[in-house]
Amino acid sequence: MDTNEIKADFGTGYLDKRVLVPRWRGPIPALVNLLLISILFYASWWIFMDPRGLMRMYTPYVGYMYSRWLLVTLIWVAYIFAFWPFKRAWLVKTHPVVKGIILTAFTWLILMVLIKGLFNGFLGHLSMAYFSPEELQKIGITDFYAWEYSSQAIVMFAAIASWLSPAWVVAAEEAPWQNMTQPARGFSIWIITFFLSTLIFFVTMHPHMGILYYPWQYFTSIAPPWWENFADTVSGNFSIGWIMCCTVVVWIYETIWERYPFCLIRNDTLRRLSAFFGIILISLALAALLYFGQELIWGEAIRGTRRDFAPDWRWLHVGEMAIFWMLPALWINIFHNNAVNRFSTPVNAFIRTIISIVAAVALYWLYYKTAHLFLGVQKGFSHPQQFPMIPTIWFICMMLINFWFMDGWPGWSMKQESVSKTAVATDKARSEVKWSPTFGVSLVIGVIVGVGLYFLLIYALPALGDWLTIYSE
Amino acid sequence: MTIKDKGISRRDFVRGTVTGVGVGVFAAAGFYSYSPWRNQLFPKIARKQADIGVCKSVKVTNISETSWFDNGLLISDIKKAGGLLVNQYSLNWPPFGDGQGLAKGSYEAGINKIKHLLPDRLDEAWALIEQNCVHTDNPGGFSCLVEIEDMEGEIHKILFDTGWSYKWMEESYKREGIDKMLANNEIEMLFVTHEHFDHFWGLPVTMKYNPNIPIMIPDTFYPEGKQYIKDSGHKGQLTEIGNGLNKIMPGVASFKFDVPIICRVFGEQDIFVNVKDLGLVSITGCCHQGIIKFAEAAYRELKYEKDTLYGLYGGLHISPFEDWDPKYDDLVISLGKYGFEKIGCNHCTGIVTAKKFIETGYPVVEGTARFRSKDKAYLGNGDTIEFRAPV
Repeated sequence: MDTNEIKADFGTGYLDKRVLVPRWRGPIPALVNLLLISILFYASWWIFMDPRGLMRMYTPYVGYMYSRWLLVTLIWVAYIFAFWPFKRAWLVKTHPVVKGIILTAFTWLILMVLIKGLFNGFLGHLSMAYFSPEELQKIGITDFYAWEYSSQAIVMFAAIASWLSPAWVVAAEEAPWQNMTQPARGFSIWIITFFLSTLIFFVTMHPHMGILYYPWQYFTSIAPPWWENFADTVSGNFSIGWIMCCTVVVWIYETIWERYPFCLIRNDTLRRLSAFFGIILISLALAALLYFGQELIWGEAIRGTRRDFAPDWRWLHVGEMAIFWMLPALWINIFHNNAVNRFSTPVNAFIRTIISIVAAVALYWLYYKTAHLFLGVQKGFSHPQQFPMIPTIWFICMMLINFWFMDGWPGWSMKQESVSKTAVATDKARSEVKWSPTFGVSLVIGVIVGVGLYFLLIYALPALGDWLTIYSE
Repeated sequence: MTIKDKGISRRDFVRGTVTGVGVGVFAAAGFYSYSPWRNQLFPKIARKQADIGVCKSVKVTNISETSWFDNGLLISDIKKAGGLLVNQYSLNWPPFGDGQGLAKGSYEAGINKIKHLLPDRLDEAWALIEQNCVHTDNPGGFSCLVEIEDMEGEIHKILFDTGWSYKWMEESYKREGIDKMLANNEIEMLFVTHEHFDHFWGLPVTMKYNPNIPIMIPDTFYPEGKQYIKDSGHKGQLTEIGNGLNKIMPGVASFKFDVPIICRVFGEQDIFVNVKDLGLVSITGCCHQGIIKFAEAAYRELKYEKDTLYGLYGGLHISPFEDWDPKYDDLVISLGKYGFEKIGCNHCTGIVTAKKFIETGYPVVEGTARFRSKDKAYLGNGDTIEFRAPV
């Protein structure tokens, strides 16, 4: 390993160049880690979230705010700041458990400074009252809803940040600051992603907050919001839906797709732009598909109604369904080394996608069938207190803490190598997939087959929905 | 001709094809899934047109719509207890208190303190409740008297929910003469919309005056709720109603939904009344399923006069704690499409919602704001509303 890299760059490339060696053969490491993560998840769920537990933050928005921002700050610490200010030598030598505790505490500290300092304090008291429960109570909102509303505003910001923060690393490849050392690189990316998050918040979420209070705040936000006619609702859940899909697709692209297909583009600028905006287009298509799927299984949404027939909930559920895909995809990547590696990159990615979607459907079914029995959440799909994004994101956070901060301990041990896994995957994809007439013809055939598969799926969905019925009303 | 004959690499072909499949699926999803073309895949709504008969009129007397008197206090309790999902029987709210404090109780611990006094010695029971429960001055309750006039002119009375506080409900029953109606067997049944504290926990007050009254509950009551019916001294027929339509008497039917509700409650049933030459009237407890879903259920399932959704009475569960969410604006904006001609809302509808209805120009029947009801924007305690075709 380059000595300068160790001294100067803290954890730059640490995750990419790290090799995790399983301690035991077969599925044992994954099972052991599943057990550990499940214990961590359930213990912390009971302490922080569970309505029957200690702190009972699943109100639900207070808990949602913390789980969502925990995910974002984990991404900041590991991906954007590459563990700065922790030295690389410390990362390499410290026992994973010690490292996990210290880095998680560090992440939680950032989280608290952000929520209490920036949102509740600075912005809430000096700018927009809806970020501060205290300010809302001063103008007559009950204590409970003051916390719920302010947490909702803060979590909406997190939804955007949890898409843009990893997207700038994964899709934009940290450009144009990729050659800077930490912390300058981290702060540069953090500032641009925070700035973009702010702009998108103003456009996609601020109009929601503007009509959350009576009367509508016509002088401070566009009311009704601009998306009303398109989305069939004035609720900001419309934006939550497609933005959640962006978050999920970023991670699908980074993990089980190994940055395929945009990694084939050799021109750096073109590749980064294509990946960044391609992820958005794929996410919009995914959001539309997931919304349509609900219409096909449950019937058309009816504006003004509540719960599972309300367009606003359907958009929210788009994001919830997407998260159910993210969890198995991450699991396959993290604890099964992407599971399918014997074929070419596109074939591997294709098979992994199928596996992860099947696992997501199974997880979805299992969650709604059983979650109310052990998580203290409400039974049913659409109750305002049924937020599957909270436990799924909380579980993902536990996985990432184990994988990023603890090097997969106890199932895996870590050794550092100098080879970038991303570079290797990109080289592999480029060597396997080259433009040729054959490739062009097969691509066209594939597109036709893909369109056919799509129509097959949507014609089959009503029957599949009946087959997988979880609750009947 | 095979692929091999043309000199095409099988591997290239597979790689291109799977890439194309991905592009094709997402492209089709993006272009078609939210396009107007998708509408052709939705089945046409088949109206079942079930005939529940007709009645001449329906009158509703609001016994109590004030389920609690201080929103801040109720929500503060819920928040401190752990949020809106905490089991209502564990809250240590009246009457199920064991003196251990907020959210530390249970049905068994609470009922054991007062069971021996139910249903006749309610004053003594309430004195114990005041010692063992939190915030005993806050509960009120939801209950109304529904009077159906059949086509022969006979009046059938249904007690629609039974409130919460023993003290408040006894006072309210006496104010509206319900105690005497119960004692005289004038009321044919107690219809419980759902298991929530403010609609159901006042049950011993009804039992005090008529323990033999038939009771109809949703089949999603928890064991605690069913035990409470027994512990309250009920001796009459208990009927558990499953999902969907259930005819009660000519012109009257209930409809039950499996709907998750706060405080771990599940399922609600409400009533449709088909009034001759007028249209359909919906009477709801909290309408947790949503008034538009309820109206859509009527449209799909029932045949009703003039094919008109004429009237509404009851809680519409929009902003029960005077909270708001933009999705409620979707309801305010959309309700006009259903053509209701007379809206008597209160209780969990929320004052903000009633004001928005009035501002939007909906035919809201305003109230008198008596007996601790807070605002004239909706029908308050002691107010009545009648749905009858003009002669």
